[in-house]
Amino acid sequence: MTEKLDAILKSGGEKIAAAKTVAELQDVKASLIGKQGALTEILKEVPKMDAAVRPEMGRAANQIKQQLTALLEARVEEIQLKASEISPDFDFTVPGIHPQNGAFGGLHPITQMCYDLNDTFRSMGFEIFSENDISSELYAFDNLNFPAEHPARESMDTYWLEGHDSGEGGKRLCLRPHLTGASVRFMQTHKPPYRFVYPGRVYRNEETDARHERAFFQYEALIVDREFPFSAGTILIKSILSKVFGRDVPVRMRVGFFPFVEPGFEIDMGCLVCEGKGCSVCKHVGWIEIMPGGSPHPNVLRAAGLDPAEYTGFYVNIGLDRLVMMRSGIDDVRLFHSGDLRFLEQFA
Amino acid sequence: MKLSLNWIKEYVDIPAEYELSKIAYDLTMATVEVEGWEDIEKNFDKIIVGEVLGLDKHPNADKLTLCQVNIGGGEVKEIVCGGSNLRVGMKVAVSAPGAMVRWHGEGDLIEIKKSKVRGVESFGMICASSEIGLFDLFPYTEEATICDLSAFDSPAGTNVAVALGINDVILEIDNKSLTNRPDLWGHYGIARELSAFYGLPLKEIAPCEISAPEMEITLEDAARSPRYIGVKIEGLAVKPSPFEIQTRLWRVGLRPINAIVDITNYVMLATGQPTHAFDSDKIAGHITVRRAKDGEKLLLLDDKELTLTPEDLVIADDKGSVGLAGVMGGKRDSVLPETNKIILEIANFEPIGIRRTASRYDARTDAATRYEKGIDPQRVDIALAVGMQLFAQIYPENKVTGYRDNFPQKLERKEVIILLDALASRLGKRLPNAEMQRTLELLGFSVEFAQTEKGEIMKALAPTWRSTGDISIPDDIMEELARMHGYENFEAAPIVTSFTNAINQPMVSLDRNIREFLAFRCGMREVFTYPWVKDEFINAILGGSNGLHSLSAPPAPDEKFLRPSLLPNICKAVAGNVRYFNEFSIFESAQVFLSGEFVSDYDKREALPVQRRNIAGAIVGGAEDVTALFRRAKGVLEALPRQVHIENYSFERIEKPFYADETVWLNIVFGGKVIGNLALLSKKAALACGIKNNAVMLFELDIDALQPFTSRDNKFTHLPAFPLNEYDLSLLFDSSTKWAEIYDAITAKKGDLFRGVSFVDEYRGKQIPEGKKSVTFRLLLGSHEKTLNSSEIENFANSVTKRLSKQLGAETRAQ
Repeated sequence: MTEKLDAILKSGGEKIAAAKTVAELQDVKASLIGKQGALTEILKEVPKMDAAVRPEMGRAANQIKQQLTALLEARVEEIQLKASEISPDFDFTVPGIHPQNGAFGGLHPITQMCYDLNDTFRSMGFEIFSENDISSELYAFDNLNFPAEHPARESMDTYWLEGHDSGEGGKRLCLRPHLTGASVRFMQTHKPPYRFVYPGRVYRNEETDARHERAFFQYEALIVDREFPFSAGTILIKSILSKVFGRDVPVRMRVGFFPFVEPGFEIDMGCLVCEGKGCSVCKHVGWIEIMPGGSPHPNVLRAAGLDPAEYTGFYVNIGLDRLVMMRSGIDDVRLFHSGDLRFLEQFA
Repeated sequence: MKLSLNWIKEYVDIPAEYELSKIAYDLTMATVEVEGWEDIEKNFDKIIVGEVLGLDKHPNADKLTLCQVNIGGGEVKEIVCGGSNLRVGMKVAVSAPGAMVRWHGEGDLIEIKKSKVRGVESFGMICASSEIGLFDLFPYTEEATICDLSAFDSPAGTNVAVALGINDVILEIDNKSLTNRPDLWGHYGIARELSAFYGLPLKEIAPCEISAPEMEITLEDAARSPRYIGVKIEGLAVKPSPFEIQTRLWRVGLRPINAIVDITNYVMLATGQPTHAFDSDKIAGHITVRRAKDGEKLLLLDDKELTLTPEDLVIADDKGSVGLAGVMGGKRDSVLPETNKIILEIANFEPIGIRRTASRYDARTDAATRYEKGIDPQRVDIALAVGMQLFAQIYPENKVTGYRDNFPQKLERKEVIILLDALASRLGKRLPNAEMQRTLELLGFSVEFAQTEKGEIMKALAPTWRSTGDISIPDDIMEELARMHGYENFEAAPIVTSFTNAINQPMVSLDRNIREFLAFRCGMREVFTYPWVKDEFINAILGGSNGLHSLSAPPAPDEKFLRPSLLPNICKAVAGNVRYFNEFSIFESAQVFLSGEFVSDYDKREALPVQRRNIAGAIVGGAEDVTALFRRAKGVLEALPRQVHIENYSFERIEKPFYADETVWLNIVFGGKVIGNLALLSKKAALACGIKNNAVMLFELDIDALQPFTSRDNKFTHLPAFPLNEYDLSLLFDSSTKWAEIYDAITAKKGDLFRGVSFVDEYRGKQIPEGKKSVTFRLLLGSHEKTLNSSEIENFANSVTKRLSKQLGAETRAQ
């Protein structure tokens, strides 16, 4: 008798463990403790047994029933936990449906770069300023200490407006050839100390090729304060480059001449292709010229209504096009104004 | 500009242990950008002196010779050569295998390899001068002339560059980095910089004394010609200059011509001071420096005949002009083979006049390039000294028979006074007075220190060669000190800040919010286009160019107009993309230029045209379903105000934009003004833009006219206590009935249960009678007190139906 019970528990346990679905388990349950189940059959025998063994056998049989019931319940839970209503043939490699029904909108890569830098400079307490595209000789050159005969003032370099290309300073109008003129506009309309950036598009009358454009983007930052050693400018430069390239980049400032700064610098970054060892990208010098900078020339500060004996500062002016080209490996600057979606869709 | 390192070293004794890369680096950091350098000896690697020991006929070729050549180190090689001037005992240039040569002096450099020539093995080749870049030093006229090095007493096997004494290093300087430094356009100026940077003495060029009868030289325009020295030198002859002089010029890229011309070029390359030699036999009477007469003709050295203007300065004799002052000499008095006496001109000209004349006649000569930077008139003295010394060396028998130094007004040295405290604050550290003094003195300044009430000051007196505009204010002196101290030796100072106000720039944020809304919420792609527009797109979209601003020198004749709207170039971008995409949408945010009064917010002296920032977009699709395209575009503009947090605007029909389809257009109105448009591009305009098979919805909006909220304006309403019910109604209306009329009729009487109504769709076609359309809309109903039952909902719907049939003739659709 005891052997029979043990056999039922053993084979029952195996069947329960082998069952794969709840339905299979129902069948197993019926075969064990259902009306015609193996254990039920034994329990039916118990009343017919000898009175001396009856209580013990009854207890033993019920114990087995409880054990089987517990196993069944545990197995049901186990199966339900792993159950799926879905066919195992389901193809989880089909592509997802993207937002906006797959229409991939996005910002122009130059705008992306500009916003990256805006966020960086905002975090350092810089305001963002913009100036009109059409400016005057007064702001584009006179205020910036360009000599009267500077070649940039000529029509072979700057786009002058027809009918407004001859008058004096403020009446001689052009598409701005650089952003720096905007710095004086900002300073004239705000109170020092200043820290602001002014991104925008500038225009030069030149022949275009893969590296030259008539319309391109600059990003200029200016700090003006009572005390500002020029070497603090390095912080601005490093901030820009580490944001753009996602890591610290070696920077050097060397002598450079621009009418609106004194001293003026050419700012180089360590070549990221060869890590400064020298390669064809950096013409084997390990450095790449990346932007001009320097302290505002006293005449610029005067034009802005400041006393140069009291105030000084630091400019950096970076070409956004070039930076985006370096960040993304673009080899033709003209693509930026092409409006070609095959190009623009590559930027997220 | 090319610089010879050996030439520089003639003026400053740079220690041998200073490597070339260090010198180039230091010059780049402190003075001028060194773009690269060339080691001439390396260019002549494996090109060596060979001595011809024997000549035999080539067995298989008449014109070829088998040469037995001693190539040094005890080696004699057989070399096949086609040279016509070969002889035993001759010294030649041998390109051994591995050498780089230019085949017949043309094309790219090619590596010499061991090879068989007509069946005979040849060890490299014996070169013509053109094949190893030496044609200018060893010119020849007959083909197959071998470069004859017999005059040089270097043993066989010597590198040819060493044998010729041209084993120099040539620095390539970026001319742009020199524009503000007229003193650096010669080797002496660069030597001075290195002397100051390394603290080494600079060799002095002593001025020379000339005593000779006075020549007559008239300066009619002293402002344009501050100084003019004329030296009449006789007893000359045209001959080649000494080889050393020739190679110096050659090394820095100039072709040697003859001793007289070479001397003038040498002086310029040494000192940066241009000079010129006239054949004095051709000069009639005396020299006058004057303005040209209007229409005066001048035949230049390069055979170009100019018609001059009174703006030009000329050198003239009694017969007329003989040279364009500071730019180029004339043909009439140029140095010719028979020349034996000259007038040497060493003069100073005012820079702006030279620059204008040079650009007027497109004559950007070496002289003009230097004069237009502003040379100090005192530099004439060292130029004269260098020049006269060369004449004495090359023509020991020469005689100076006339001399005149016409120098009415000396250039004053510029004095700059610097407060040392202010200097230290700008530099971020205090440099010792002794260092400052030494540095500045090596650069040619005179320095004094003094105590004043404001503190200690430094008085720096700039040398004349830095006083033509370069040095004028304390900041200039600061730069001198900082660059000579070494920019890398200033530690980056932290930026100190004080906080007063957080930055809040609503209009700046608005532009970004709109772009991000269109890009990220509407799936549109931002494009950039030019501010100038092709005429065809202006005409197609705006109907003409009346009143538009334009460029005086535009990128192209048909691209002179500046855009008053972003749409012409948006349409150009659409036309470019329909080749590759059928459905897409683009936008641009940029400035437009409008007619109107010229004003400036910044300066009374300034007058700028009206400039506004616009945002414009195109939503492009197939031509089949214009309604869907219209709804997409309108949806963008309807959603925009809430998403970018601005006051809402309305859509009205006031004035059809030129480019718009007759039917599908709306004006965007805010504050009583039209601030933008939304319209379907008309078929005619689309075809004019080259867009054939697509429908294009365009919109444009004046961002500057929008009113951003000061903060988000979201308002909370309580959640409904009982469920809301939706009920769809489809009714037939006249085809011309507008949804706005239906909406107004529904919402005219809302009652307690009405919670909203929304458009679902409209349908014309099968099963709908001609002249009718079916409009489906969805009512949203609810109650504050209970859940509505179906009869309450239907009663409300019936009342709406009744009202619509009474007011707009709506009919229920036959089941």
